[in-house]
This record gives sequence, structure tokens and C-alpha cells, in this order.
Amino acid sequence: MKKIALSLLVIISLFSSCGKKAEETKTGTVDLEALKGSTLNILAWEGYADASFTKEFEDKYGVTIKGTYFGSSDELVSKLQSGGGASYDVITPSSDVAGYIVSSDLAEPLDLEQLTAWKSLSPVLSGMKDVQKDGKTYGMPFTWGPDYLVYNADIIKETPTSWNLFFDPKYKGKIAMYDDISSIYLAAQLLGYDKKDQSVLYNLSEEQLLACKAKLVELKPQVRKNWASAGELDNLFKNKEVVAAVGWPLTPANLNKQGMNIKAVIPTEGATGWIDRLMIVKGAKNKQLAQLWLDYVSQPKVMAQVAEFTQYYVSNPEANALLSPETQKLMDVASMDKMFKTLNFWQPVKNRKRYNEIWSEVKNQ
Amino acid sequence: MKNYDKYVLIFPLLLWLFLFLVLPYLFILTQSVLATDDFGKVVYDLNFDSYIKIFTNPLYYETLIRTFIYAIIVALACILLSLPLAYFIAFKVTKNKSFYYTLIVLPFWMSYIVRAYAWKVILGENGIFNSSLINMGIIDKPLRFVLYSDFSVILCLIYIFLPFVCIPIYTSFEQISKSLVEASKDLGANSWVTFRKVIFPLILPGVISGGTLALVLTLGDFLAASLLGGPNTLFISSIVQNLFGTSNDKPLGSAVGVVLLILVFIVLELSSRYEKKHETQ
Repeated sequence: MKKIALSLLVIISLFSSCGKKAEETKTGTVDLEALKGSTLNILAWEGYADASFTKEFEDKYGVTIKGTYFGSSDELVSKLQSGGGASYDVITPSSDVAGYIVSSDLAEPLDLEQLTAWKSLSPVLSGMKDVQKDGKTYGMPFTWGPDYLVYNADIIKETPTSWNLFFDPKYKGKIAMYDDISSIYLAAQLLGYDKKDQSVLYNLSEEQLLACKAKLVELKPQVRKNWASAGELDNLFKNKEVVAAVGWPLTPANLNKQGMNIKAVIPTEGATGWIDRLMIVKGAKNKQLAQLWLDYVSQPKVMAQVAEFTQYYVSNPEANALLSPETQKLMDVASMDKMFKTLNFWQPVKNRKRYNEIWSEVKNQ
Repeated sequence: MKNYDKYVLIFPLLLWLFLFLVLPYLFILTQSVLATDDFGKVVYDLNFDSYIKIFTNPLYYETLIRTFIYAIIVALACILLSLPLAYFIAFKVTKNKSFYYTLIVLPFWMSYIVRAYAWKVILGENGIFNSSLINMGIIDKPLRFVLYSDFSVILCLIYIFLPFVCIPIYTSFEQISKSLVEASKDLGANSWVTFRKVIFPLILPGVISGGTLALVLTLGDFLAASLLGGPNTLFISSIVQNLFGTSNDKPLGSAVGVVLLILVFIVLELSSRYEKKHETQ
């Protein structure tokens, strides 16, 4: 009995000693020679570590960028909590968890002096309070975009105007949903909960959650697969398994390059959206290099490369002029301010555990 | 001194087991009675809410029961498929036995994920299965239930775990002396009676250990469900993976893990008792 008690004590002490290590912050001149040969580990949403914009940085500093992708905000938080600093340097959290990451001390403050393009970033984005704490800024705005209704325009000829397209018997078993609690936001939008107050989606009552659950259960026969990564959704479209889905601009961007005719639209009920930041992980091994990466990405030219690849809106407005005419047209850059006002951006969900449970319960019904 | 030597020999293993088996289990056990804040940080607040939840919320106990039923289906299917195959190799093949044996083990040379993905290619809307059925004129529209459903998950699991069941059954077939079979035939029993009364009791330990392996492995599998499952597919391990990797509810995840562990222990214990009983006969 004593032994068990003792080992329990050991475990508990192991447990509580995690995350106590404080790292000294050092500013000043960067020793570029010392950085050579190191690897910058980025834990990001898919598409945020593509060679089309990492290559030049790698060559310039003689370093390697290694991107690991996460499929949902919850996955990111979970990875960070189980000791992220040891494995990752840079993360790209969305607006639903960025504030939490800052307040629970999982990120390093940024050195704004070292971010040469900081001043040219969109002030609406760079001034957001959720990633500021004690006068310090913890996140650099990177990209934003909508959770579109993505559809195969070869099959659905008429531009959809409502999310209710998902319930159309014609498309039974041809719909894909995102395997994430954001599906609950969508159900809540369908039920009109956000008409008066946008933030209702992120603070649903138990009663509302159950109504959303019923709506999602009703949708289930229509659903072919809940996708867990953008790559999986791309494959579902490519293999003709689905004709319409909730998705990000990355999906049409990728698939149309391969000759498909995939379009994206914001239905009349509205759509949710996300604002992604670049942050440096608390205790990151390559903090200095991470800071250089953020500085590099903030430049209009690189932001434009990111937008070309992902077709996400970027935080540096100067990048828009550098986009190819086709991309400008595809992304409708001219009306991006209007788009920004339309979207209901992801916010922190207080009752995240219950949201996740509801989403699992939908699958069990 | 002798005793001392013995301990030196097993010390590395004991240390290994303690560090990577006993400690993690204790850790999981401890964690299962704690609570979390809204974002999943574990807080030290002793309670049994997680266990209560498992047995009151249908999401957890229904999934547990369903997974168990699926595991039994997978184990039975593997046994039924293995019996004739192992029998064939043990008794009907005379030359190149090891070649046939290698064929059973061959799938192990490839990663699980690759093999699971292969099923996507085979069963998909435009996959080999559907397109050949259409070409042969048997169906005019692709069958959709074969992929992204519980069916495809079970099919994949049967395929993946078949060698685990086939090998022990084959081994027990090999150990049966031919003279026993001949004696049975001499005494006038036909093939079926010989199989039922002589061979089957002798291979039963192999059947049980193989079946148990498939059962336990299915209980712990979440990859097949996440790759090939549909909107209705939910395995208990997917829930555990979800609770740890997505919802960040480590206490509840640990509690499900503990319940699953106890179940597996019971299955293993029953099966080893049964096996022993039959070995002594």
C-alpha cells in the first residue's frame, strides 16, 4: 500500500513540475551564423508551411522548415498542453483558442521591434485584444477566411443560396461535414440563433445545443463522411464521393489547380470564419529563428505568396496588389472588407467540453 | 547467490515494465478521478464524475457495447476464415508449406495505414469493386454502403487481424499427429465427425487465443474507424482518442481507458482459463 501511495506521489509531482521552466528572453543582434543548420518546427493548419513560400527563407538562412499539420483547434491546444515547446516553435491558432493560449501562458510575447512590417499590417487585425496581455502582444495576424459552402459546380449548376442545400434529397449521401465542433455553429446558424447576437453561437445553452444536435442528426443520412483534414476533403471531392461540403478556400484552390470545377459561396444564413495568428510557443527551442520567420512572413511579398497558395485573405493589405490578376478576381479582393463584416468569426467557447460531447453524441445517434 | 543472478536477469525487463506499463497505468488511474477546467487543464479535484458519466450517458456505454459486439463479429469472422485456410496448409499442402505460411504473414510487411487506405481505393464510388460490378452488369449504380460505413471498418479489421488468428490455429493444426486422424477414420468416423470430435478439441486452444487476440485488438483500434468509418461510425477507442486529442477531457478519457482495460483483463482471464481447461483434457 505504501508503495502505491509513494508512486502516486511521484506521478503527481512529475505532473506538477511540467511547465515551470521559465526561459530567459534575450534581445539584441541576431547571430545568423549560429542559426545555420537548425530546423524551425511549425505546427500549423494545412497549407501554412508550403514550399512555395518557405523555400526562399530556408535558402536565405540555411535552415529547414518542418511543418506538422493539425486538423482542429482542439488538437492544437491538446498538443501544446502536453509539452508543445519541446517539439514546436511556431503555431497558427485560430480566433477561438488564441486567447486561451495566451492566457494560459503557452506562448511567448513577440518582439514587435523585430517585425519590420508590423505597422503595415491591417490595424483592425493587429489591434485585437485577445492576444494581448500586460501590454505585450503574443500573436501576429496572419490570415483570415470563411467556412464556405464548397460545391462541385459541374454537378450543382445553380449557385446555392442556402445551407439547406445540404438537406436536398438529390444530394443524399453526397455531403461532407467538418469533424469539429464548428459543425454545431453551422447548425445554430441554420436555426437562426445568431440573428440578433453573433456571439450566441459560442455560448449556446444546453437547450440550444440539444436543438443543434437534433438538426445535425437530421442531416446525418445526407452525410457521406466527416472530414478531419483539408486533404481528406480534397480526396472526397476528387473521388466523386461528395458534391458539397463545409470547407475552406484551400479546397477549391487545390482542386481547381487539378482541373476540377469547385466553387465556394457564403449562403444567405451567413457563415462563420476564422482569424489565424502566428505565435511563438512558450519555451520554443528556436525562438530567435521563429521571430525571423514571423518577420519574413509579414512582408507583403511573402503574404502574397501565401494568398496565392491558400486563397486565404492575408493580414498585410499591401500584399493584395502583388497578387496575380486571376487570384485577385478569384478571391474578389476588392470586396474583402465587406466579406470581413459578413463573417461571424470564431470566438472562444466556454463550454467546449460539452460542445465536443454533443458532436460525439451526434455520431452515436 | 543463485537467486541474486535470477534477479539480475529480469531486472531490465522489470524496470521497463515498471516505467512504461505500471507507472502509466497508475497515472491513468489517478487522472481518471480528477477534473478539468473548460479548456481541459487537469485540476486536482477528486471525484468520480467521469465514471458516473460513462455509465449514465448513452454515448459512452452504448459505444462500449457496440464496439464489443463488433469485436466479437471480427473475432468470429477471423476464426471462420482461418479454420479452412489453416487446415488446408497443415494437412493438404505437402510441398512448399513455408511458402503458404509466408503468404499469410505477407501483409505484415506493409504498414497498417497503407492497407487501410487500399480499402478506400477498392471500395470507393469509382473503386475497383464498384466499377467491376457495374462492368459485369450486376449493378447499375455504385454500392455506397461498402465504404464510409461500419461495414467497411469491420471488413478492414477482419482483413488486418486475420493473420493474428490464422497463425495460432495453424500451429495447433500442425501439432496434431496424423495417426490420431487415421485412427478416427479407422474407427469409422467420417471427415466431419473426425473434425468435430478429434481435431477441433485439439485446436481449440489455438482458436481461443487467436480469437481473443482479434477481439482485444479490435477493442483498441481507432485507425480503421477514422479512415473508413462514416458519419455513424463510432468506436470506443475513437472516443478515447477524441477525449485526449480533441476535447481535452483527459480524466474522462482515462476513465474510459480504465473501464476498457478492466474489460480486456476479464476477456483475457476467461480465455486463458478456458484454454488451460482444454489443454489438460
